[in-house]
Amino acid sequence: MDIIKGRRSIRSFQDKEIPREHLKTIVEAGIWAPSGSNIQPWEFILIDDSTLIKKIKLLSPGLYGVPKALVILCVNKKRSEKAGRLGESLAIMDISMAAQNMMLAAYSLGIGSCPIASFNKKALRELLDIPEHVDPVLMISLGYPTEWPTPPRRRPLEEVVHVNEYGKHFGR
Amino acid sequence: MSMENILEDEHFQLLAFLVASARGCVDEPPTYGPLRLIDAAEKVISIIEKKYERKLPELEDVKIIIEKARNVILTDEEEFVKTLDELVVKVSKIIKRL
Repeated sequence: MDIIKGRRSIRSFQDKEIPREHLKTIVEAGIWAPSGSNIQPWEFILIDDSTLIKKIKLLSPGLYGVPKALVILCVNKKRSEKAGRLGESLAIMDISMAAQNMMLAAYSLGIGSCPIASFNKKALRELLDIPEHVDPVLMISLGYPTEWPTPPRRRPLEEVVHVNEYGKHFGR
Repeated sequence: MSMENILEDEHFQLLAFLVASARGCVDEPPTYGPLRLIDAAEKVISIIEKKYERKLPELEDVKIIIEKARNVILTDEEEFVKTLDELVVKVSKIIKRL
């Protein structure tokens, strides 16, 4: 729970490189996420070239700070369609779980991260030569934080969790 | 001007940010529109300060208010709007004095 509760979205990074081995650990955490029917509809594009990061940042309004690496999480539609009509939504769930695994792995290594959906897909496709059947859906920025922000308010368990029947909550 | 170094040109960086934001705002939450605009405003301050080759205290104050707005956008929309008002008043005061 310490790692889960400690992770924050980081938007300001130190000018300090992340060892390639740590980046590999982070993306490896992604491939161990649960996946519906074990389809693993994901492709992860790891970017640690600073010039390329700069170019991607120009077209990604939701990307704050200057991260040392990015992971672009993509849905491979040729794989996701194997799950039939559910394929598209299952793929998003799988990618989301992979993203969380990566961000927790990063945090365990002292590396900050931020999930970003505000980037231009067409621009990214152009910059990285991503084929048509691969759809970039989420970006994770990575770097050593200048600070770990204080956690934002969470809706309490007593409000969010329904026990045995919708509307019945844990006692306060 | 050569296109070779255009990536380093802050005007070009602002241009890229604006076009990507314009497309993003079509799909994103409504408050992201003002967020992108204040982010762009901050980039404009950076361009102005570069032109004058120094920090301008009044514009630095504007940057502080922008940062304050960014910090509350996800947690307190009402406070975000108030901070945008504060921002407009601050810039109006600068204009009035000129």
